Amino acid sequence: MTTKKDCIAMLLAGGQGSRLGALTRHIAKPAVSFGGKYRIIDFSLSNCTNSHIDTVGVLTQYRPYQLNSYIGTGSAWDLDKGRGGVSILPPYATETGGEWYKGTADAIYQNLDYIDMYDPEYVLILSGDHLYRMDYQKMLQSHINNNADLTISVMDVSYEEASRFGILTVDDEDRVTKFTEKPKEPDSTLASMGIYIFSKKVLKEALIADSTDPDSEHDFGKNIIPNLLQDGHRLFVYRFSGFWKDVGTIPSYHETSMDLLEPNPQFDLLSDEFPVMSRENIQPPHYIGPEGSVEECFVGNGSRIFGTARHSVLSINCYVGEGAFVKDSVLMPGARVESGAKVVRAIMGENSVVAAGAVLGSEDPNSKIAVVGDSIVVEKGGAE
Amino acid sequence: MDRVIGLIAANFATDEMGELTDERTIASLPYGGRYRLVDFPLSNMVNSGITTVGIITPYKYRSIIDHVGAGKAWGLDRKNGGLFVLPGSVFGISSSGSRFLLRDIRRNIVYLMRSPAPYVLVTSANTVSNMDYSELLKRHLETGADITLVYNIADSDDVHRTGIKTDGERVTEVIHGVSAGDKAFLDCFIISRSLLLKIVEWYSAIDYLDLFEVLEDDFDKMDVRAYMYEGYARSIFTVQDYFKRSMDLLNVDVYDEIFSKDAPVMTKVQDSVPTKYVKGASVKNSLIPAGCVIAGSVEDSILFRGVTVGKGAVVKNSIIMQSCVLGDGACIENAIIDRSNVIRAGTVIKGSAEEAFIKEKSVN
Repeated sequence: MTTKKDCIAMLLAGGQGSRLGALTRHIAKPAVSFGGKYRIIDFSLSNCTNSHIDTVGVLTQYRPYQLNSYIGTGSAWDLDKGRGGVSILPPYATETGGEWYKGTADAIYQNLDYIDMYDPEYVLILSGDHLYRMDYQKMLQSHINNNADLTISVMDVSYEEASRFGILTVDDEDRVTKFTEKPKEPDSTLASMGIYIFSKKVLKEALIADSTDPDSEHDFGKNIIPNLLQDGHRLFVYRFSGFWKDVGTIPSYHETSMDLLEPNPQFDLLSDEFPVMSRENIQPPHYIGPEGSVEECFVGNGSRIFGTARHSVLSINCYVGEGAFVKDSVLMPGARVESGAKVVRAIMGENSVVAAGAVLGSEDPNSKIAVVGDSIVVEKGGAE
Repeated sequence: MDRVIGLIAANFATDEMGELTDERTIASLPYGGRYRLVDFPLSNMVNSGITTVGIITPYKYRSIIDHVGAGKAWGLDRKNGGLFVLPGSVFGISSSGSRFLLRDIRRNIVYLMRSPAPYVLVTSANTVSNMDYSELLKRHLETGADITLVYNIADSDDVHRTGIKTDGERVTEVIHGVSAGDKAFLDCFIISRSLLLKIVEWYSAIDYLDLFEVLEDDFDKMDVRAYMYEGYARSIFTVQDYFKRSMDLLNVDVYDEIFSKDAPVMTKVQDSVPTKYVKGASVKNSLIPAGCVIAGSVEDSILFRGVTVGKGAVVKNSIIMQSCVLGDGACIENAIIDRSNVIRAGTVIKGSAEEAFIKEKSVN
């Protein structure tokens, strides 16, 4: 069966995101809650829909249950399509055994049949754990105009940051001349965002060659891109200038969440352009009690606030009891701060509880952000 | 509950709703910050396990069809059963206040004839409750009644409801208007499908009447029983009802019961961003849905999605519907501001505690 598509997306969502510690103990990073009602994967999926890309393969591996059930039929993103739509692609068994995905490139390699089913001209490769809004059609147009084999989305970063990324050096026409993963002394500040558009033919050949290379780590950044460059393929960059963030660590997750509360946030969720869609469990409006006090906060539906909340993200179904105090914190869905408890500079996982009178976190701006995993209860007087 | 199909009579109109129903019917009246009244019977049916629901639309059906669509939000976009939109007839005199117009049922008789289910649960679309209809079915089966209708005890604000007189469990009389303490019909009953079909046929010549008007003379022959509902259930017939029953949700016990986690009220989903509270915001005893931006002060009030409350603006004891923008320093007290109104900075709008001021919908 072929149902020809111009461009399909392959969304890598199998990583653990181990640097998020307790937050990804039970769920994959793309399923982590963000911004009160979203999960991180919402942003990539919404970008696909808003970019009119209606066929998305989601590659899952680490603790996929929540992610799978969250994506469901894809209807929340209008991706429940008769032809195409969203497909969950976990590792699978074959007549010769079957393997885990050994790397980003291997994950795509093992699903070449899926890609062939739609016989696209172009394949967009995405990460499911980045926060950004982007029109992939513009990037695709740039790919076509350049007659490129591979287009890599890049953003200009500071020289100090450059050593954390894959860095690309380009000529006058934005054709890539050099690619270095995490260089100690970068000679460019164009950082790869991990968003690629391949011409399918080139992708397929590269993946098949890579699959038989015993020394390969089967990674796009480490293996596929350097090899294509070496072989003289046409690699171009697509320059992106909006907000983009890989919230890979606790401090960056916290900082990005706090930025949402600014009067003019870098990442404006409220913007009407390119709406972020999410799968919503319908919750009632939130209720602020007679003694409740909320300033500089994001508050999700279904929450009930009887205490005080300042400069915090309170996701759906949170509870802040009487006399409780929350500041500079992120409460993930279902988190409860019981009466008289205090939560400062903390991230509370889903359905976690800070018991009555207990304290979590510290006002000290130099202290580490306190983190409570999903469904954990912090008792009064007990350490986290 | 696969033995029961639902029938929601949403073709009820009244002159008592003022400007609020100029462009919509009571069934599609916004309620509780993000819902429409029809969401309550629809969700209750689905939560009770009913998977086939017919909804008799009002004559002004645009807003209700826009809202229910194919029934996706209620999981009623199904191969077997699901949501059936049943066109209602034009009312002659809307103030007749019929909830179960025989003509509406007769016109859509095919819906009832084609179903294999033995029972039909019929409700109006102007009652707020979180009722488990399976309790009603159980009761109906236990007693073997022909019809079991649901009632509760009227309070002093329930003057427009229909009262019932009973002898034991048997209903002997239906009366218009009730006083506090009376048994008041909750516009909800269960009946066997075959009997409902028969009644519609028997009375086809007078199908401009309400089902209970024609049944009144049959109460001695027909076993009509009353079932008392203990939970929160209040019907909305007038602007005053609407205002008061909306504000009931600010009572935490009512909120918890109506918005039960076990039986969630479902509604059409829009992708609203969580509400943003700006520095200087002050909100007390209020219901706020997603998609609002609040810089001013809100007290004892209910907002709907996408409302902006400017700096220094004050909202007290009011209902502000979807997408209204309240300019800096505006002051709204004892008022219902219908959707899409832009209230300029500094404007003062005040109703009285007895009679809320209504600012009608703006065409934006």
